[in-house]
Amino acid sequence: MMVKERITYPFSAIVGQERMKKALILNAVNPSIGGVLILGEKGTAKSSAVRALASLLPEIEVVTGCPYSCSPYKPEEMCEGCYRRWASGEELPRSRRRVRIVELPLNATEDRLIGTLNLKEAVQNGVRSFEPGLLAEANRGILYVDEVNLLDDYLVDVLLDVAISGINVVEREGIAYRYPARFILVGTMNPEEGDLRPQILDRFGLSVEVGGISDPKERVEVLRRRAEFERDPLGFQALWVEKENELCLKILQAQQLLPAVTVPPVLVELAVEFSLGARVSGHRADVVIVKTAMTIAAYEGRTEVEAEDIKEAAQLVLGHRFREGNPPREKEEDGPAPGAADGEDEKERRKDEGPFSGQGDEGRDEGESGPEGLFPPLSSDGEVSQNGEKQDDRDNGGSPSEIDLPKTEEMVFGIGEIYQVRKLTPPADRILRRGTGRRTKTRTGTKQGRYVRSIIPRGAPTDVALDATIRAAAPYQPKREKAGRAIAIESTDIRQKVRERKIGNTILFLVDASGSMGAQRRMVATKGAILSLLVDAYQRRDKVGLVAFRGDKAEILLSPTRSVELAHRKLAELPTGGRTPMATGLAVALNLLHAQMAKEEGTIPLLVLISDGRANVGFNGMDPVESAKLVAAEIYHSGIKSIVIDTEKEFINFGLSREICAALGGWHFKLEELRGDTIVRAVRKSLS
Amino acid sequence: MKRALLINAVNPAVGGVLIRGEKGTAKSTAVRALVDILPEIEVVADCRFGCHPTDRSMMCDECLARIEAGESIPRGMRKMKVVELPVGATEDRVVGTLDIEQAIKKGEKAFEPGILAQAHRNVLYIDEVNLLDDHVVDVLLDVAAMGVNVVEREGVSYSHPARFVLIGTMNPEEGELRPQLLDRFGLAVDVAGIEDIASRVEVVRRRIRYESDPAGFAEEWAAEQASLKERVVKAKEILPEVNIPESMLELIARIAVEMGVDGHRADITMMKASMTLAALAGKRAVTEEEVRQAADLALLHRTRRRPFEDFKFDSAKVEALIPGKGKQAS
Repeated sequence: MMVKERITYPFSAIVGQERMKKALILNAVNPSIGGVLILGEKGTAKSSAVRALASLLPEIEVVTGCPYSCSPYKPEEMCEGCYRRWASGEELPRSRRRVRIVELPLNATEDRLIGTLNLKEAVQNGVRSFEPGLLAEANRGILYVDEVNLLDDYLVDVLLDVAISGINVVEREGIAYRYPARFILVGTMNPEEGDLRPQILDRFGLSVEVGGISDPKERVEVLRRRAEFERDPLGFQALWVEKENELCLKILQAQQLLPAVTVPPVLVELAVEFSLGARVSGHRADVVIVKTAMTIAAYEGRTEVEAEDIKEAAQLVLGHRFREGNPPREKEEDGPAPGAADGEDEKERRKDEGPFSGQGDEGRDEGESGPEGLFPPLSSDGEVSQNGEKQDDRDNGGSPSEIDLPKTEEMVFGIGEIYQVRKLTPPADRILRRGTGRRTKTRTGTKQGRYVRSIIPRGAPTDVALDATIRAAAPYQPKREKAGRAIAIESTDIRQKVRERKIGNTILFLVDASGSMGAQRRMVATKGAILSLLVDAYQRRDKVGLVAFRGDKAEILLSPTRSVELAHRKLAELPTGGRTPMATGLAVALNLLHAQMAKEEGTIPLLVLISDGRANVGFNGMDPVESAKLVAAEIYHSGIKSIVIDTEKEFINFGLSREICAALGGWHFKLEELRGDTIVRAVRKSLS
Repeated sequence: MKRALLINAVNPAVGGVLIRGEKGTAKSTAVRALVDILPEIEVVADCRFGCHPTDRSMMCDECLARIEAGESIPRGMRKMKVVELPVGATEDRVVGTLDIEQAIKKGEKAFEPGILAQAHRNVLYIDEVNLLDDHVVDVLLDVAAMGVNVVEREGVSYSHPARFVLIGTMNPEEGELRPQLLDRFGLAVDVAGIEDIASRVEVVRRRIRYESDPAGFAEEWAAEQASLKERVVKAKEILPEVNIPESMLELIARIAVEMGVDGHRADITMMKASMTLAALAGKRAVTEEEVRQAADLALLHRTRRRPFEDFKFDSAKVEALIPGKGKQAS
């Protein structure tokens, strides 16, 4: 990106964060390690370090004027243009320049990422030429994605395809193009904001966790240097130039030494043992450990790998790969066809098949401790455990609960354990919506999302589809006045893009708070489940509402809101006791969702009923279960999708919730099935 | 709140303010009134982005090109503005639009600047920032971090500098902000209605006087406004000379560690804010008093919290960490 003449804070002046710096340097020495994922708190010099790295890297030699920064010496990695020139025996002009760091903004479009038709050339000169995207700019440099876990899925898919093959194949707007795209992928993420899919996680060679420095002396040093830097950036840089040069030289020397580094076979075995111990799937981890260890040796000026190197490498390599029982890899995710947009679409479609995709591909297992306790789990039960901190006591049943309750009938139960829930994804629909979020795929009227096809715009075009417009104009060219341009386009030719993206849902939790739910403290587990769903809702930017029914009425505890905190508080205070007016509950929920849909165009409603199904209060003396089924059918006909979570635990299962679920046309499962890892385990079991 | 706004008026590098509080607590009024005490800045007189005449990192492509061509650039002074970003604003409205229709008809790029362009070197004010659309928030974060707004459509791209003081207000009842956006605000304050009866009466009295005779009211306060403005201008002059002793840096680091904040942004903000406060007080060196005030403002929204925790900020805990005097209520 064109950030001009910004003076960067010197890499060597960053206080502490040694592991992060080491991981970055190792990648600089040996880009084939595969990049770094930096996990951690805000404000820990993550971005500063990445930006500073670029100015530290040794200069590279490029073919002058090549938009892909091709190396003049490696025909096998050249773009088409350079290769043709090389093959014809032309002497390629060369120049030296700094390695680029390209930042991928979260709101980048697919076009911008992979490149597109050069508009100016097309219109003015009638030439089909290619306008390279960010991936081209990043070739032989660093591609930096801040908050990589917030990146839209379709961009992640493109990124993965390219990162795997090192080649970007573009086939669109009638032009096919391939160019090299090898880059060091550096991503940062804050695990609180949601996880990364295992597929992209595995794509990062190394990972490090960063946190703030707790030593006050070092913290003061951070401040002192920062103050100095801001007061006089140039002077500060001059102060560190020697250190920077030293480091740069060391990287250069390591690069030269690297090909000579050898690994004793016994140490390769050690690497394999490490990854077996971490139960990682596939062989990528083994390979990366060995590569990293070789790079560490080279960086330290040695030509033979030592056991310590393997150990250090394993720490960097296994952190993000470790999990207790990896889900078996899905074939379709394994090696997607490079680039082809159609293949992408099909993959998407397959993934979203069925009313709900069962495989929690974001389902992270609960982590135990890693091999030799080296690696803390990245996160477990939706909580970040990087500081070894456990969830607040208050959340683990510490609320003014079971002990001191004045009322005879009513109890307030605490909230049970929180965990990662399985993926709940309602099917995509074809309604145009405006909104954001990360759950349901939808047509979108905004300029975000994947371009799926084009239409003739109604009114003024807002999101012009270039390819379709040119196609529409093509037949008329012989008859039109061109005024020096290659093609003449008129307003009637203009086509508009139709896009698709994921948006959040409005999830209404309808909670049975009747007496039967209190039996065997079932409410504790239920509240845990709801809270787990709330964590999930937060990460996917859903709106949540909460309705509880008990005694003779249903109560709206929370109208749909984005404030998950508020929902949490209400949930903690929710008392249990009394009879089960399920029909009333459903009716209130229906009204609330109707109101929400009227208020906000584009709302995707989802009803989550959590109950044991033992309805015992009906409408005006009607049978309670029949009453509930009646409203349920109405909900179904309103087009509201539902999930019923059955909390029934006894051996004799009345199966009433199943009946109501059938009337809702919803998806039914037991409370115990809500965990992401149970699904994974079930799949594993069925395969073994 | 007024103090936090003043700090930003003097030193935009502090990084903006988040004002949290109920309705009717003069949040918007205060921000809009800030205009009158904002200092004047030097600009390229005929630039649509109000570029800085000498700092190249704050210039748009057009101005840079002119400098490169050896053209001498007309300079002028203008007031800083408060630019409002309405909650319902579309992405187009915020980042600006590239007229693709124009581009494909004529093959030239036409950029219509958006709110971010107006906000360059000004104050960007977002009322109810927590209700902002998620992807508008993402865009804002990117721009705030990079200081550059890049608009891309169909391979046509346009970029311009966008550095601004971010001021947001929110009512926490309506939902929280994502930690990323939260951390992007340098300072935060909680405002509440005033409980003291005499003060409440005074609020009402002034309001009525203002409404019945706005001009007269403004005149009554003209002298005070002028002196405040004067103070801001002076503070700006003093700021580069303000020193922060080693012991104060240690104090800041200790407070940050004890309060369990994430990362180091809090420390850095405390340092900058305390230096600015010293400048506002006409002092050349930071003392405990400034650190105490800065800590309150920099830590409120940064004490460690997870998505489901309530804010826990204990100003008494900060007090306890500060030796010496100066403990009167803020």
